[in-house]
Amino acid sequence: MSKPKLLWLQSITCNGNTHSFLNHPELFSILAHFELIHHPVLESDYSFQEVIEGSVPCDVLILEGSFVQEGFLKAGVEVSSVIEHYAKRAKDIITVGTCATFGGIFKQKEPDKISGFAFDIEEKTARYKEYASKLISLPGCPIHPRWLSFVLLMITNGKKVEIDELHRPVELYGYTVHMGCTRNEYFEWKVDVKNFGLKEGCLFYEQGCQAPYTRGSCNKILWNDTSSKTRVGTPCFGCTEPSFPKTSLFTTKTNMGIPAKMPLGVPRRAYLTLTGVTKSFKIKRFSERLLEYDK
Amino acid sequence: MKKVEMKQLIEKIEGEAELDFTFNDGEIDDVKINFGFYRGIEEILREKDARDALVITPRVCGICNHAHLIASVRAIEDGYKRAGVEVNLSSKAKDIREFTLACELIQNHIKWLYLTILPQLKRYVGERSEENYAIKASYLSTTITKALAIFAGQWPHSSYAVVGGVSCDPTHLDVIQAQSLVEESIRFFEQVVIGMDLEEYLAIKSITQLSEIEGDFGNLLYLLGSNDMATIGKSHDRFIVFAESPLSVSAKSIGTQLSKVDVRYVKESMQENTVAKAVEYKKRLYEVGSLSRGMVAKRPIIKSLHKRYKDSLMTRVFARVDEVGVLLKSCKNLLQNLALDEPSCTLPLNKMALHFEGVGIVEASRGSLIHKTKVKNGKIVNYEIITPTQWNLSHGTKEEQGVAIKAMVGAKSVEEATFVFRTFDVCSVCTTQ
Repeated sequence: MSKPKLLWLQSITCNGNTHSFLNHPELFSILAHFELIHHPVLESDYSFQEVIEGSVPCDVLILEGSFVQEGFLKAGVEVSSVIEHYAKRAKDIITVGTCATFGGIFKQKEPDKISGFAFDIEEKTARYKEYASKLISLPGCPIHPRWLSFVLLMITNGKKVEIDELHRPVELYGYTVHMGCTRNEYFEWKVDVKNFGLKEGCLFYEQGCQAPYTRGSCNKILWNDTSSKTRVGTPCFGCTEPSFPKTSLFTTKTNMGIPAKMPLGVPRRAYLTLTGVTKSFKIKRFSERLLEYDK
Repeated sequence: MKKVEMKQLIEKIEGEAELDFTFNDGEIDDVKINFGFYRGIEEILREKDARDALVITPRVCGICNHAHLIASVRAIEDGYKRAGVEVNLSSKAKDIREFTLACELIQNHIKWLYLTILPQLKRYVGERSEENYAIKASYLSTTITKALAIFAGQWPHSSYAVVGGVSCDPTHLDVIQAQSLVEESIRFFEQVVIGMDLEEYLAIKSITQLSEIEGDFGNLLYLLGSNDMATIGKSHDRFIVFAESPLSVSAKSIGTQLSKVDVRYVKESMQENTVAKAVEYKKRLYEVGSLSRGMVAKRPIIKSLHKRYKDSLMTRVFARVDEVGVLLKSCKNLLQNLALDEPSCTLPLNKMALHFEGVGIVEASRGSLIHKTKVKNGKIVNYEIITPTQWNLSHGTKEEQGVAIKAMVGAKSVEEATFVFRTFDVCSVCTTQ
């Protein structure tokens, strides 16, 4: 049996998803399951000129970058027409990154014209219906290389990827970024971080961390197989969410001192009750450094 | 005289570009470089919080995102200082930033070597090769960005550099793991790229010793030498470096004549028929990047190559690969001397300037990257980004042709010219930010 033909197309992008995927330690074993028709960086079977001419085969289509219907030409051809040409022929379409999925950062340049391929933030675009049956969304700015390899290998193994209403695989986006964060105890006991550059304390209360209500498995499948934003003291900016990027990213918006946005699915009343309880205790261990070199 | 025009789409260069060549009597005498889509990051930043730039600007570029992060944090810190808010980075924070930046440069240079230069050169000289160069690029890039991520959380698109320092709080365990990854990268560089000991390699001072280099770099030098690449690709022979780094001081070098620079004399202007803006220094065009850093730092082997071959393709390509060795050594030193007992971030959370203007400069893999931010009431009112590719790939002025264009002029074929073009490590996305 011949291998599925993989085509990677870019629209309005920074190439971040391309480079993130190049960091996959098993990159070439994964690609060995496919015939690489065209890729933005790697050597591939056909030139970009041939891709534009519309004559190359395509089973699995990977889309990177925000989508604009008119005004973005490559070699004199509208990129949108090239994408739709292959989207019609593909058996599977994977939108990689928040730009291709929801519109992302580059949508903010022209919010009325620029969107994701099948979603405009959370709204379905006009083309959603035609492609819904073969669409998988992998939001993230950028995608984690292992998220993409999971989907690609599921496809080549003939397995069905379970997805949610925004077509995100539940195995990847059923989690929140908060799950697995090394600062979880500080979150539970409502201990905020005293400054940047400390391994102790939670970033949710003051520093704008969006991990408790952001879908993604950054703290389960670690970045570069080693860490994550929150583990190195950087707040989660919600880069997998349709709303990315919001504003005032290093500040938690609060109402009467309570974070304005609750952890995913948690009723405000439940949150307040727990906070009341935990705040009534002062636990010595959580006010101390884990280890100190600067004693 | 017979004028002929030809168009060529260049792909796999962090996006695409179109080159329009004009041939005159069989030689290229002008080139127009056209890049794609203007994404408007500078406009997107307006009215956002000053610190949001730390999250937004890395998204200019998937391959040099970290350089954008460092440039943007330096711009804010410069602004704070000018507004009277004291910002004194600990040496630990400075060293960690230099380390992560060096990791990104290594990742970038090695991808350029294995994904661009070697395969394109073999194609150009008609040598068939079944070798999977990409797996080498991926291996070293994966290894070194893992070391980066120990401090920065992830690559691409980290925002771990915060005003006043870094957000991470590394332990000895973290440093040991990073050291091990650097050692692995050095081992790869020694065994695969240069085929010799790193220390011995770094001690090479003269072109008479180049034959000692083996491995893929040795092969590359052989191919360049035996295909007359030391005579082509010459440009203005003017080099500029704006940021201090472990690689070089900040200065310009006209030929080998060194003198001071001041970023205030950098001027940006719109160009016709392309979304990329041109940039010049005191009305003259300069090359930026590894070759410029090597020239300004007066690295002996770069000077020796330059003495013989000037700013030819050979010298330019050598300088880029050479920097990987210099950077690996620098990475090793930075980790060895990292002062873990110092604070990571020295600016208290409540200290902030609300009105300021600041400039941040960094040496990115392709050369000096400049960010300028203007902030009122805590919000960005203007943000300017000048990327290295704008220096190297502008169309030029009335008086002189752009740096890469000058290097392509005189080429006998489209193939020769596009190979020269690729030696500048073209980044389409940075140019059209």
